[in-house]
Amino acid sequence: MLVALGIITLITPIAATSFGAANISFMDVIQVFINKMANLTQANGMTERIVMELRLPRILLAFVAGAGLSLAGSVLQTVTRNPLADPYLFGISSGASFGAVVMLTLFTGSGFFENAGMAANSGIFSGSGALSGLLWFSLPFGAFIGASLSVLIVLALSGLGLNSQVERMLLSGVATSFMFGALTSLLLYFASPQATASVLFWSLGSFAKASWSLLVLPTLVIGASLFIILGMKRQIMALQAGDETAHTLGVNVPKLRLNMLLLCSLITAILVATCGGIGFVGLMIPHTVRMLFPGRQPILLTALVGGLFMVWIDVLARCLLGNQELPVGIITAAIGSMFFLLILRKRRIMA
Amino acid sequence: MKLSAIQTSHTLNDSDTRPSASQTVALDVSQLSWCIDGKTILSNINFALPTGQMLGLIGPNGAGKSSLLRCLYRFVRPTQGKITLFDHDIERLSPKAFACRVAVVQQDTPHYFDLTTEQLVSMGLTPHKGMFDTNSSCDGERIAKALEKVGLSHKMHQQYEHLSGGEKQRALIARAIVQQPQLLILDEPTNHLDVRYQIQILELVRSLGISVIASIHDLNLASALCDSLLLIHNGEVSAMGTPTEVLTEGRIGDVFGVCAQVSTHPQHKKPLISYFYGYHDSTHSMADALTERGEGG
Repeated sequence: MLVALGIITLITPIAATSFGAANISFMDVIQVFINKMANLTQANGMTERIVMELRLPRILLAFVAGAGLSLAGSVLQTVTRNPLADPYLFGISSGASFGAVVMLTLFTGSGFFENAGMAANSGIFSGSGALSGLLWFSLPFGAFIGASLSVLIVLALSGLGLNSQVERMLLSGVATSFMFGALTSLLLYFASPQATASVLFWSLGSFAKASWSLLVLPTLVIGASLFIILGMKRQIMALQAGDETAHTLGVNVPKLRLNMLLLCSLITAILVATCGGIGFVGLMIPHTVRMLFPGRQPILLTALVGGLFMVWIDVLARCLLGNQELPVGIITAAIGSMFFLLILRKRRIMA
Repeated sequence: MKLSAIQTSHTLNDSDTRPSASQTVALDVSQLSWCIDGKTILSNINFALPTGQMLGLIGPNGAGKSSLLRCLYRFVRPTQGKITLFDHDIERLSPKAFACRVAVVQQDTPHYFDLTTEQLVSMGLTPHKGMFDTNSSCDGERIAKALEKVGLSHKMHQQYEHLSGGEKQRALIARAIVQQPQLLILDEPTNHLDVRYQIQILELVRSLGISVIASIHDLNLASALCDSLLLIHNGEVSAMGTPTEVLTEGRIGDVFGVCAQVSTHPQHKKPLISYFYGYHDSTHSMADALTERGEGG
């Protein structure tokens, strides 16, 4: 199993690059990579530009996003001891959607709510005006603000006490989620049809905007988080055995849990802002890894599998429909749930 | 089931000859009280545990045994009082330093996601490791030895969830051994276990040679295997001393509300308690039991 994973890891970047609208073969990609590495001046400018500036950043972004979401999901499932926890548990996605919708309705000028939205955000966005050209920038920005807002609300409610911290976290997460969901629906109800459509498309996730500059922040955040999580892995493991046990093993439980929540929220908020709400990966990949590789400490494995999974999902998104991209979120949910059911079935037969 | 694999270097008769009450005090509790929401759970608890001894904590349900233990391992903070561990005020120790000195085996262990027995046992290393420390071969040896000591070497790669109740309890004790504590706290370690495991677990704990505090419901078991007993009733210390001093007919009647006859155990010469039955039909049969005891005694 591990060997297969290793081979997939090696092949993925090259193979995934060779899929897409423009006809670029596997060998072309290798050629481009070799050229780049050898610093040769290229023969085929067009192919190289497609590979290096469109597809490669996109694949890397997909990998980073998949790895980050799986990592966040895995850590949250452990520290909350809730197998249904995922990165969006604490209302992050609905907070982000709300932020995005506020931005959209602001900049697409949707009449009535333009003023209300402006008033609500006047402190932050005064002067930015209703320039729809800013939409590209402001949508992720709004999403990030919204996501952070929901996390702050959850944190304020969960507190630092040892007693029932998890319950309060989960419940306030659910409540926050519904609150932002309602606000989003309200805004969308009054918004223009285009705004509604673009919010829907955005919320399903896409890596189409990937570029090298867009890649920097998520990579840094997720790399740093991975480093911290690996460093704390004993403490995180100990939390699996319950708060009281972790306490007796010398873990400062409330503090660790709060820090991990903050870290995961940061990962998720950055990713939501960069590529929209991609569901199911954070929930499913950790479980899949646990089932496929039982009895391991699966932090790195989870990140790797999540990243690879996302790269191939993105390949499917690009190729399934001949001349159109599918939103990534649809495929992750569809394929993910099928795959999950399959593994569950297989496990039952084996057991 | 390889029960014989458990190494109990210690037999019951040894217990009388082991160096009792060597002068150092492992744990000293003075004037400990804990109130929550205006309710007093523990009040004015004082006792000291000599190094290397095993103290049994007994008392009826709700007497405050678990609360006292939770104060001792700092899960709850007492309202008042001082707890000293080898001359250190436990309040002053960092969580890590404290966990290096005190290991706990809890009463109810929550559901574990996905851990092998070996992984569970290696959790005991947590307080001894820094951020990026990996397990050395020495650690591996320690884990293997702990598993061998509790007789679980053959189950080390099995899922912890799939172990039987007694095996789970022994795995948790192995984890405590790996933690290398100076003091081991056990909250009802014999719960849910059959008689053989009850004896085995406590003898195993005794054989470790470290200071131990264990809450035990079975008075005969406590009598046989503890150096001293602390009887708690309504959050207060009702009696403290050797099993012979603590376990008297009158006290058992007062605290537990049962009629019992205390005799001497044929093997270890400590108190052996026989209970009388028939509490269901009002006071009548209670009186019968009392007269019976009077006649018998």
